[in-house]
Amino acid sequence: MSGLGGARSGDGAPADGAPGATRPADDAPVAAGPADDAPVAAGPADDAPVAAGPADDAPGTAGPADGAARRTSPRVVLAHTITFRQARQLVPALIPVAAVTGFDGMGTVVLLAAVITALSLAAAGLSWWRFSYLDGPTSTVVTRGLLTRSVRTVPNDRIRGVEVETPLLHCLLGLVRVRVDAAAGAVGTDAEELLVDGVTPAEGDRLRAHLLARRPDGAAPAPGVPAPGPPPEEVVARLDTRWLLYAPLVGSYLVVPLAALGALFRFLDELPRALRPDIPGPDLGEVRALVLVVGAVAGLVLLAAAAVVGAALVNWRFRLVRRGGSLVAERGLVTRRQTELEIDRIRGGTLSEGLGMRWVRAARVTALVTGLGQAGRRGQLLPLGPRTEAAALLGRLVDDPGELRRHPPAARRRRLARALGTGLALTALGAVALAALGWWVPLAAGIALTLLGVPIGLGRYAALGHAVGPRSLAVRSGWLVREQAVLERRAVVGWQVRQSPFQRRAGLATVTACVGAGSGGYAAVDMAAGEVPDFTAAASGPWAGALAPR
Amino acid sequence: MSTASAPARDPAWSLPRSAIGLWVTESVISALFLGVAVVAFLLFVPPEPGTPLPLLRWLVPVGFAVYAVVAIGIRPWFKHRVYRWEVTGEAVFTRTGWLSQTWTLVPISRIQTVDVTRGVLQQLFGLATVAVLTASSQGTVRIWHLEHDVAQRVAEDLALRAEAVRDEAT
Repeated sequence: MSGLGGARSGDGAPADGAPGATRPADDAPVAAGPADDAPVAAGPADDAPVAAGPADDAPGTAGPADGAARRTSPRVVLAHTITFRQARQLVPALIPVAAVTGFDGMGTVVLLAAVITALSLAAAGLSWWRFSYLDGPTSTVVTRGLLTRSVRTVPNDRIRGVEVETPLLHCLLGLVRVRVDAAAGAVGTDAEELLVDGVTPAEGDRLRAHLLARRPDGAAPAPGVPAPGPPPEEVVARLDTRWLLYAPLVGSYLVVPLAALGALFRFLDELPRALRPDIPGPDLGEVRALVLVVGAVAGLVLLAAAAVVGAALVNWRFRLVRRGGSLVAERGLVTRRQTELEIDRIRGGTLSEGLGMRWVRAARVTALVTGLGQAGRRGQLLPLGPRTEAAALLGRLVDDPGELRRHPPAARRRRLARALGTGLALTALGAVALAALGWWVPLAAGIALTLLGVPIGLGRYAALGHAVGPRSLAVRSGWLVREQAVLERRAVVGWQVRQSPFQRRAGLATVTACVGAGSGGYAAVDMAAGEVPDFTAAASGPWAGALAPR
Repeated sequence: MSTASAPARDPAWSLPRSAIGLWVTESVISALFLGVAVVAFLLFVPPEPGTPLPLLRWLVPVGFAVYAVVAIGIRPWFKHRVYRWEVTGEAVFTRTGWLSQTWTLVPISRIQTVDVTRGVLQQLFGLATVAVLTASSQGTVRIWHLEHDVAQRVAEDLALRAEAVRDEAT
């Protein structure tokens, strides 16, 4: 075992941490074209043209301790065995086996459980044994894989965020899980992620500090040596426990208890009849309506309570701290998460308000960070809070470009036409159906949809707007979730202008600012076509003048 | 093509005429596949009275004929008027689409990758596509169907210039 361990650290850990020294075992993402890495390219496995030049780091920072690969704590084997982390994918394969051997009573169940547990233990043990990581001075290398060895090298200056999370089981075992996000480039997958599962909290903190050591001020502390005193902290935002009461009005928190309920029903449905609890249907009789109403109210109250509990679990004691050159968000009751974002990489933010949140003037704020995977979850700077707080926080992140400009009345007609279209078509079909077949349901549904379409269309129009300030721009749209994106000018890496035949007739166009962060693009829907060249030129560099008529 | 309500000007350069041939070929191929499906429908679905099937037996072939005429006889020439491209001193600028049109503008300083791809049909017509990628998943410019040597030159030129003015702030 020790021999293999030595061989592993030999092939997985280049002495100088240069990415080119590793095997091209991993994912060279999309063949880099001629514009990319030709001159500097360190090796075929790497997609990072600018990465890992030794000039980037002060030479000689590599301490002797950094030569050896590190491993995770063996206790993680226990955690993975219990959660069947590796064995989960084997379960579907085992079910047909069980079906063939016959599913006859408890004996099989116990045997099956024992086999799965043993498999899980073996898989967890093997993957722990074959896993090692090394955070060198210029790049980080993770080596893993049972049969196929995979060596993934990420240059440190491509690392965009480090997240330290503590699931309940890890907490009991005194472990943490570290996720490292690296710039994904144009490909936008989570493939560029390193996961170091099961290190001690102290090691987790050391990793985070080391990987994000490149501060904008250039004061990179030598790895291994603790930084001279913790950098000053400033609490930027903090969750007031009362704000959790907004949760029942937020779609995403309502969905979770509903999904759990659905899963429970499905499970009950699939149980063998003998095991199903036999609940006799009560004789309702004339109290039936009352029972239904009480049941519905109780259900709603329970749902609201579940949403609050769910929000509390995820966001408990949320606080956002500025520490040196990064923002650190901490939250969670059972699983405590710490997400660290480099302020230098933040290009703007979004303020989103769901339909229910708008009633109580609540909002959430998400940062747009270049090259951050799963930005929606990781970039959250204020999960839930009053709109004024959210707007103030967004204002600290990026300059306020000023009041939004409304879009022309033609945009209102277009939103209404689109919202009413389905309803009107169904109404017409319904009228035919009533005349020909005597069915009144389609007509009623069509009329209801049409009536519902009016507020939706007007609401959609009311959400539309755009603004340009000296250093930033803003666009807003959406009805179910109204989202306002505020972007720095330098964030814009391209413009996309779309015009459908209907928009052409109405003199409108949809302008999308392409951004290397968040969802990749933020659109000003249905703005006046004549304003497009001025807007794009004002909201980005002089290069956007190419759109203007000559 | 430029009307009073156009949101942006037309890019300066049009595509080679052989792009029309490529689009016609593409349309013919897809029409052939659709035609096989339509013939199968007519052969294997009997016109049961009392259902909408007899009507559909008329509508489906008519719809197919309209599609074939538009896709083969009209759309390629229409597309050739819409598809335009230009490389200015600072940006790559294209217009694509047909009924709905899309203008895309990407500054050369933000280019991350330039790819040249040649599909099977494109090779028959001596054409290639230049794809210009940025850090944004939506900010990709594709210059469709350039002559192969032009595409190669454009890609090399863009790559060189991007190298020279690259702006690291994505």
